[in-house]
Amino acid sequence: MVSRIVSLAVNGREQEFIVHPGMSLLTVLRDLLGLTAAKRGCAQGACGSCTVLVDDRPVPACLVAVETVEGATVRTLEGVAVDGELDDVQNAFLDDFATQCGFCTSGMIMTAEALLAEKPTPTRAEVVEAISGNVCRCTGYEPIVTAVLDASRRRAVRDGRPS
Amino acid sequence: MLSNVLMPSSAAEAAGLLRDGGWLLGGGTVVMPKVNTGAVPVSRLICLHRAGLAGITVNGGSVSVGAATTLGALGADDRLLFLHPVVRSIASPPVRNLATVGGNLFVAQPYGDLAVALLALDARVEVVSADGTREVPVGTPVEPTEVVTDLRFALPAGLWRYRKAMRRKHNSASIVTVAAALTVTDGLVRTARIALGGVAPRPVRALAAERALVGAPLDGPSVEAAAHAASEGTEPFDDAYASAWYRARVLPVHVRRALLSEQ
Repeated sequence: MVSRIVSLAVNGREQEFIVHPGMSLLTVLRDLLGLTAAKRGCAQGACGSCTVLVDDRPVPACLVAVETVEGATVRTLEGVAVDGELDDVQNAFLDDFATQCGFCTSGMIMTAEALLAEKPTPTRAEVVEAISGNVCRCTGYEPIVTAVLDASRRRAVRDGRPS
Repeated sequence: MLSNVLMPSSAAEAAGLLRDGGWLLGGGTVVMPKVNTGAVPVSRLICLHRAGLAGITVNGGSVSVGAATTLGALGADDRLLFLHPVVRSIASPPVRNLATVGGNLFVAQPYGDLAVALLALDARVEVVSADGTREVPVGTPVEPTEVVTDLRFALPAGLWRYRKAMRRKHNSASIVTVAAALTVTDGLVRTARIALGGVAPRPVRALAAERALVGAPLDGPSVEAAAHAASEGTEPFDDAYASAWYRARVLPVHVRRALLSEQ
């Protein structure tokens, strides 16, 4: 078996680790780095609970063979809050009751972060399309869509942009 | 059991490695679920990420799409707006950030909607093996030792139609997919290539529907006749999304709606 040393910049910090052939980014995050916000749901890219940003794009971490993204920049939910201060998306999820059991929340927030970085003022339909790969069995999605739109408005207000 | 993941730096190198066995790894959306459950019958994966196969070239009316181009990149290219509805009908944005154009040719129906569109576009596929390079029409079976490197097609000169019927608006497999390239002059259909997904194990041409349409006006009665002819040659199947009976029943409806651009 050919194991390899792989390095990634995870939440702004260079990390180096040894991986077995075919080991997923999700396994590296959870089992080697102790970053357990990304959840192992279906392990086939269908549920979205392991969504993280690789080079700023949201991807299901379970589908990424980590050897194939050597040198990439990875952002997980652990890298969203700064110095313990929740960001606008996290606050909106809390305030708008967008979390129930919490299993989908990490993936939902990372998908929302990517959407808002690309489209700061998305329409409701654009939010629905963006989170179409993230399954939530609790909320019925409405509070989540509302929270993402709320986060967009909070950022617009803070930045002095029209929302 | 998996013992190695190889990262060739060219298609020729990948083809050389493939001679000794293994699976190609594109975006990972098909292969990684099997890796995650230990259900990979090969000992090595040959990854195409670093093989220089990603990128889109549009030269006049000719389009060339590298096999490792992601669906996300294809759906963000403003030169190919006509393909955006196709891309957006496939999976979810995070999966599209990984899934590749070349890989879409090899996923079983009722997935692989881009392959249906490429069949309607009469796309050509460049294939590299240890023996050299060949170009084949899309849909031609390739050998396990061959690497798909490039897809080539002309921008539609006439009308382009695409419609995918699914259970939900986003991120759902096909019940019926219809893609069609038509040219119409003086009120009559001159050429028609109609491809169907979701109604056979592989994407299929609706040859009888094409024959019914050519020489006829693109209006209600002739489209209705073509839509009913579209069932010829299909082999609808049962799955979790729809029964074979249902697929057969709604196929003409969606062919008609696609061709007439009805909602």
